[in-house]
Amino acid sequence: MTNMATTRQDKPTEASAALRKRMGDNLKAIGRDRDENAFADFYNYYAGRVKSFLMGKGMTEEISDELMQEIMLIVWRRAESYDPSKAAASTWLFTIARNRRIDYLRGNSRIEVELEDEMLDVENDESETQAGYVDAEQAAERLHRALEKLPQEQRQVMHLSYFRGQSHGDIAEWLDLPIGTVKSRIRLAMQAVRSSLKDEDKAALLNESSGSPIND
Amino acid sequence: MSVSHHLTDETIHDYATGSLSMPMETLVACHLTVCRQCRARAQMADGVGGGLFDRLEPTPIKVSAMDLISRSDAAADSPASDIRNGASQASTAKVGTTGPVKGVPRPLGRLLPAPLEQLRWRRVAPGIKQYKLDDQHRRHGAFQLLHLAPGAVLSEHSHHDRELTYLVQGSYRDSIGRFQVGDIADLDGSIEHQPVVDSEEPCIALIATQSPVRYSGVIGKIMQPFVGI
Repeated sequence: MTNMATTRQDKPTEASAALRKRMGDNLKAIGRDRDENAFADFYNYYAGRVKSFLMGKGMTEEISDELMQEIMLIVWRRAESYDPSKAAASTWLFTIARNRRIDYLRGNSRIEVELEDEMLDVENDESETQAGYVDAEQAAERLHRALEKLPQEQRQVMHLSYFRGQSHGDIAEWLDLPIGTVKSRIRLAMQAVRSSLKDEDKAALLNESSGSPIND
Repeated sequence: MSVSHHLTDETIHDYATGSLSMPMETLVACHLTVCRQCRARAQMADGVGGGLFDRLEPTPIKVSAMDLISRSDAAADSPASDIRNGASQASTAKVGTTGPVKGVPRPLGRLLPAPLEQLRWRRVAPGIKQYKLDDQHRRHGAFQLLHLAPGAVLSEHSHHDRELTYLVQGSYRDSIGRFQVGDIADLDGSIEHQPVVDSEEPCIALIATQSPVRYSGVIGKIMQPFVGI
């Protein structure tokens, strides 16, 4: 558990925005031209992180290497399905890695919303962009700032829940905390991120409140 | 669709981190289909995963990008090489119907062999019928549809852990409020409830629990092994 708190290393906001642009451009170039240099740049930054994610979630190094390669090949072959208006490149990659891990462990695919579902609740095109913002970059920018502002103890629990262990119980054990404390830090972090996204103009979608409000 | 009961932050977070069971994922995906508000929150939770992903400490890797590409191009003719295809074939294999089931979000529709009223419902108590979705997941808790006649009253009960209920048809009322089509009841062990069906048509609910529920009434205790909620 040596690098348990790696999210502590703060990066300047500009560096983080530059990285998002570079990686998003890489995915576009792979999807459009099968650009090998773009893939190499993407791979050199993310392959080791995908492997860290898989090993952190309890897979052996051998299986992590194998799955990491499968995940990066999905990036190579499916980059044209990346939609920069919906998510940052890192988010797209994270969901692929998460889903591939679930497929592997469970033997059946992760269950997700199907966009061609006739019951899909869509009001207009804008609602389908990330959290209803003008563009994914704006959302990613605000998200980055919100994550930077989280108290260390919340950021640590978020890092662990996304990238380490299989349950809140694991995290509680590692940190020697009651499980209720782990859960409440997660809730607080989620609320903090959500309200910092809500701060500014375009968050009408999140502000909408009907009968029973989302638990703020 | 106007939805008034939503997923909790905790469930949204657990869905994003990939730590829910397949039945729980199905319930979450059904609600996300009909609730763009929660869908936006789920996208935010994925975005948190992406944002944190950039800050992960990388682990050394053994294969270069170019080696990986050239190896994959060499194997491109092999049908097994496209694992993404493999994954989608696996998910097609469990599809129970040839087309979408009307009035049912696809994540649930894919598990049904027939339209709702034509399922082989099993009568478990007066006014209460049950359709089990997957015995394979039984040890992690129940995964089933309940078909409740108008006016039916369930025994008052609470749960050891989390229970998710997605309203497929009709409506019911309990101490928390009124639940209608598309609503989700996202309950933890602290809540005791006694749903009463208040719709004119039968109420159909999709339910996943993580562990067997605790009943407080004697009748509940007798019913529990049969109803399995």
